[in-house]
Amino acid sequence: MTERWAAFWRWGGLVARLVVGGVWIVAGWLKLPDPAESVRAVRAYDLLPEAIVPTVGHGLPILEIIIGVMLVAGAGTRVAAAVSFLLQVAFIIGIASAWARGLKIDCGCFGGGGASASASVTDQYPWDIARDTGLAALSLLLFLFPRTALSADRLWTLDPDPDPDHDEEFV
Amino acid sequence: MSKKGRDSSRRVKEMQAAQRRAEQRRRNLIVGGVAVAVIAVIVGIGIAVQSSRDEAGTVLVPTGTVDKFGIPRGDTSAPVTMDLYEDFQCPVCKMYEGYLADTYTKNIDAGTLRIVYRPMAFLNDYSSRALETAACVLSQDGSAAYLKLHDLLFQNQPSEQGPWPSDADLADLAAQAGASGSAVADCQAADTYKGWVKAATDAASKAHVVGTPTMFIDGKEVAIVGKNQQDAIDLVQQTIDTAAAGASSTG
Repeated sequence: MTERWAAFWRWGGLVARLVVGGVWIVAGWLKLPDPAESVRAVRAYDLLPEAIVPTVGHGLPILEIIIGVMLVAGAGTRVAAAVSFLLQVAFIIGIASAWARGLKIDCGCFGGGGASASASVTDQYPWDIARDTGLAALSLLLFLFPRTALSADRLWTLDPDPDPDHDEEFV
Repeated sequence: MSKKGRDSSRRVKEMQAAQRRAEQRRRNLIVGGVAVAVIAVIVGIGIAVQSSRDEAGTVLVPTGTVDKFGIPRGDTSAPVTMDLYEDFQCPVCKMYEGYLADTYTKNIDAGTLRIVYRPMAFLNDYSSRALETAACVLSQDGSAAYLKLHDLLFQNQPSEQGPWPSDADLADLAAQAGASGSAVADCQAADTYKGWVKAATDAASKAHVVGTPTMFIDGKEVAIVGKNQQDAIDLVQQTIDTAAAGASSTG
């Protein structure tokens, strides 16, 4: 890790945490009110056995919100970023496979979804995949470099900023 | 300071740095462990809460249905059966109802076709309220009134962005279809078929219906969505004719 990257990532990483965490919180929050709908959205992808579909549908919005809150707060950043990365990769696989099989499903990414009333929904797949790829890349960076400015993790880090000249600024 | 002194003070510093690194690793492990535990506990609680909110409750099936969630139209002895999944809020359903109305009527009147409407409510709150009202009408006034209301609901379909008809407006529409408006209002107010509407929608999801309208003729999906009116009519008519020919040659 070069010094310039470290200096950049202190604040760049904070922005990444807020962006990825914010998206997770919104995505999870919109799915909370209708648990039946999120179960149908999971089932629509037709990738998981029916025995675990309801559990995944019920748990996913909660997991998304926790990961989002942890990233925004910068608490347990490395663990949250790892889960965030794995979820995004799973979503990319789900959307790509729905696309490849010609399934017409609204991705359900931000609530709603599972099934679609319109024919043009397949046009959305490339955009959904592009967005999730970007979020996965930011998550991976946060996993590799979890130390960023204004994070709760600084409270239990012995040397938040190894360069003493910068110590005051970021605590 | 002598060379020896400098060496030993450097060793002390290195040892201190190593201790701090070990301490930091210990803390990282604890923080990581706590993070994983917090996620697991909250997700566990969340799954319990969400699944209890997802209970359909008691599912009261309206009288006049075919396998709980289907509403039949046409002769039971017709050789060809079409299953048609629709949502009353779905504009594409409304469009194909318009395109194919004559084709349906012609084949039903000829005794060739029987349609089993399989309503679902997955788009918004209006989807559910419209279907609950329709279930009240089906149970109280029979399938002829239901089918009339089915057509009226599509003709009077609100925009997906609203404004949406109230339950009272829906009861008025039910009265136009020949139902008793006040009995329908009571049925709506009691949430009589709320559980059934949810169960019908989940049943469609389990039948791998991921969009509306979805049409099956004798169990095979017929892809009408995206077709223009003439192509849709030709496809449906050909599929019905083929199925009818198959039924008469084997049966």
